[in-house]
Amino acid sequence: MDLNYTAEDVAFRKQVRAWLEQNMPRQIKDLEERKVWHRKLYEAGYLGMGWPREYGGQGARPMEQAIVADEMARAGAPAPTNGLGVGIVGPTIVVHGTDAQKRRYLRKILTAEEMWCQLYSEPNAGSDLAALRTAAEDKGDHFQVNGQKIWTSGGATADWGLLLARTDPAVAKHKGISCFLIDMRQPGVDVRPLKQITGSSEFCEVFMTNARVEKANLIGRLGEGWGIAQTTLGYERGGRALARITSYAGQYRHLLNAARRLKRNGRPILDDAVTRQKLGRIWADLEVERYGALRVLTMLERGEHPGAGGSLTKLSYSEFEKRFMELAEEILGPYGQLTDGVPAEYRLEVDTAVGDHGTWAYAFLWSRAGTIYAGSSEIQKNVIGERILGLPKESRADRVGGTR
Amino acid sequence: MNFSFSEDQTLLRNSVRAALDEQCTPAHVRAMMEDPRGYGDALWGEMAKLGWLGLPLAEEHGGAGLGFVELALVLEEMGRAAYPGPYFASVVLAGLGLELGGSAAQKEKWLPAIASGRARGTAALLEDTLDWDPAATAATAAKTGAGWTLNGVKRFVPWAHVADVALVPARAPEGVSLFLVDPRAAGVTLTPMVGIDLANRWSEVRLHDVAVPADALMGPAGGAGPVLEGLLRRAAVGASAEMLGAARRCLDMSVGYAKVREQFGQLIGSFQAIRHRCAEMLLEAEKAHAAVYYAAWALSAGAEDATMAASVCKSFVSEAARQVCGDAIQVHGGIGFTWEYDLHLYFKRAKALEPLYGDAAYHRELLVRGVTASA
Repeated sequence: MDLNYTAEDVAFRKQVRAWLEQNMPRQIKDLEERKVWHRKLYEAGYLGMGWPREYGGQGARPMEQAIVADEMARAGAPAPTNGLGVGIVGPTIVVHGTDAQKRRYLRKILTAEEMWCQLYSEPNAGSDLAALRTAAEDKGDHFQVNGQKIWTSGGATADWGLLLARTDPAVAKHKGISCFLIDMRQPGVDVRPLKQITGSSEFCEVFMTNARVEKANLIGRLGEGWGIAQTTLGYERGGRALARITSYAGQYRHLLNAARRLKRNGRPILDDAVTRQKLGRIWADLEVERYGALRVLTMLERGEHPGAGGSLTKLSYSEFEKRFMELAEEILGPYGQLTDGVPAEYRLEVDTAVGDHGTWAYAFLWSRAGTIYAGSSEIQKNVIGERILGLPKESRADRVGGTR
Repeated sequence: MNFSFSEDQTLLRNSVRAALDEQCTPAHVRAMMEDPRGYGDALWGEMAKLGWLGLPLAEEHGGAGLGFVELALVLEEMGRAAYPGPYFASVVLAGLGLELGGSAAQKEKWLPAIASGRARGTAALLEDTLDWDPAATAATAAKTGAGWTLNGVKRFVPWAHVADVALVPARAPEGVSLFLVDPRAAGVTLTPMVGIDLANRWSEVRLHDVAVPADALMGPAGGAGPVLEGLLRRAAVGASAEMLGAARRCLDMSVGYAKVREQFGQLIGSFQAIRHRCAEMLLEAEKAHAAVYYAAWALSAGAEDATMAASVCKSFVSEAARQVCGDAIQVHGGIGFTWEYDLHLYFKRAKALEPLYGDAAYHRELLVRGVTASA
C-alpha cells in the first residue's frame, strides 16, 4: 500500500498542467468552438487516451487518463465534446465491430468530425431496459427501424447513434435485441429536445419511422445486443474518478466562502455549530469518495476490472452529490435557487460535467439526475445484491417468453 | 499509487484471522464476558508468540517495527472476532503513547515488556466531562521534593484493572503533562464501569494524592499536548479499524442469513427491501475500509493530510459501523435481538468504540477547522 503518486505520474501531471495553461480557451461560446478545443486536446494526445494506438488512441494507463481529466477539472477547462462517442461507442466498435466498421467510424469519433449519441432508453423501458420495443425489421438489403427512444443525450447534435432494437419478438426479451449504428441525419429520424427540470435540454426524444440501417451497420451478431450493451456499460474506466472529486472540492470551497459572508442569528453561518457539523460531514464524505477513487484506479492500473463494483462507485458518488447539493441549498438559501441575476459572490465558477451554467441552482437540479441515469440507485443496489453479495434474485415474470 | 495490500500484509491478515477463528470463537468471547479478569492467558500468550503485541513497536524495543496499516489489519480482525482483552489498551494506547512521548529510559523499561506480553498498559484519556481536547484536563499534578503528586478522576479507562502502567494526563503548573502511573499504587482506586460490551472493560480511576517519582513524567512538564493529540489520532484510526471489522462481521452474518431465511415462501434475500439494505451495508463497509486504510497509510507515511485523514476516518466509520451493525439486527429480525445469537457481540463492540477517541461530531468540527484554515 502506497498512496503517493509515482514520480512518473507527478511529472505527467506537471506536463498536463503546463499544456493547459498555454492552450486552454477562457470561454467557449458554441459547439463549433468546443469542437476546435476537442481537436486540440486530441492532437495533444489528451483525448481517447485509453483507446488502442492503432485506432488513434494513446493506449494510456488509467491513471494517466484520470490525471488529465483531473487537471482539466482543476483548471476549470471546458469539457471536450462527443463524450458518448469517445467513452462508449468507440470502445464498443473496438471490441465488437468489424474491420470495416473500425476503419469507417473510429477516427471520426476521436476528431469529433462525427458526433454520436446512444439510443437505449424508451418511454416504457427505463430501468427495465430489456423491455425495449423499438423494432428493426430485416428488409433483405437493410433493416427498417420503427420506435421511440428517450433520454438520448446529445441527440440534437448527433450524426450517428448506437441503437438497441428488437429483432426477434418471439424469444425471451433479453435474447431478441440487436445492436446497430444508425444514421441520425435521415428523414425517418426525428429528434426533439426534451426540456428537463433544469429548463435546459441535454437530452432528446428520438422518433424513428421507417428509418434505415444498412446491413453492414449491425454490431456483433443478431440477438447479441443485450450482451454488447452490458459490456458498454462497463467501459467506465475510472477516467473521471479524480476529476469528479476535484470538481466537488472546488464547489465546496465556493460554498465555504458563501458561508463566511452569509449570516444567521447575527453570526456568519460558518460559525453556526449545526452548519459546521453538516459541512464537516460532507467534507468527510468527499474525502471518502476520493479514497474510493484511488482504490478503483489501483484496480484499473493492475488490469483488473471493477465489474459489478462499478455499481458501488456509481451509487456512492451520485447519492453523495445529492446530499452535497442539498447542503449547498441550505446554506445559500434563495441565492441557491437563482438561475439569473446571481451576485458574483454566489456564483459557481466551476465547469459542471454537462455545461457551463455557472449556477448552484443548475448544479442542484442536475444532482437529481445522477441517481437515475445509467442505472438508478435502485438498479445499482439490485446489481450489488445479486452479483457481489450473491443474494437470490427475486422471482420475475419476464425471464421467459417473448415480448409479442 | 497502490491502494491494495502487499503480499506480506495479506499473509498477516490471513494468519491473524486464522488464529482468531480458532482461539477467539464466540464461545471464548462469551466465556470472557463472564470472567472476572476478562481475558485469557492462553490467547494472550499466543498473541505474544505471534508477535502481535509488539507489532507497531520499534525493533530495538523488541517490536516488529511494522506500520499502522499492519496494525489496522490486526485490529480489524479483532473487531471481527469481538476480541476480549487488553490488546488495544496495551499496544495502541500505552505502546504507541510511549513511542510518541516516552524518554529513552521509559521506552527501555516498558516497551519490551509490552511487546513480550509481560506487562500491559493503558491510557487514561477521559474525565468526567468526556472532552477529548487535552487542554480540558482537570486532574492536577503538584511538584513535590521527590516527584509529583497526582489528584483527579479518570473515567472509561480501558483495561486498567489488568494494567501495569497507565499514561495519565494531569495539569501541572506548567500546563498539561503526561505521567506514567502504576494503577496499583497507593492512592489509586479502580471501580469497574460496566458497559453493554462485556468483552471490553472500563474502570473509573480515582487518584488521591498519588505520589509518582520525577522520572514518571513523560516529556517536558506542560508539553503533553502534541503527544496526546498524536496518540488520539492513532487511537481514533485504530478504533475505526476495529469497528470496521465488527461491521464486516455483521454484514457477513446478515447476507448469510438472508440466503437461508424464508418468509412468505421465499428467501428473504430475494426481497428488494432486504437486498437493498444489504447493498447499502456493503457500500458503507467498503467506504469505511477506504477511510481506515487511507488514514492508516497516512499515519505511517507521515502524509501531510494525516491529521485530517484520521478525523475523516473516525467521523465516517463511527456512523458507518453504527449503521451497518444496526441494520444487521434489522435484517435478522427477532433472532438478532436474542442474547443467544452472536450478532450483539459485534453490534456492541462497534457501539462501545463509537464515542471513544472523539465521536463523529468531535472529528467533524476538527475537519471544518482544518478545511477553513486551508481555504
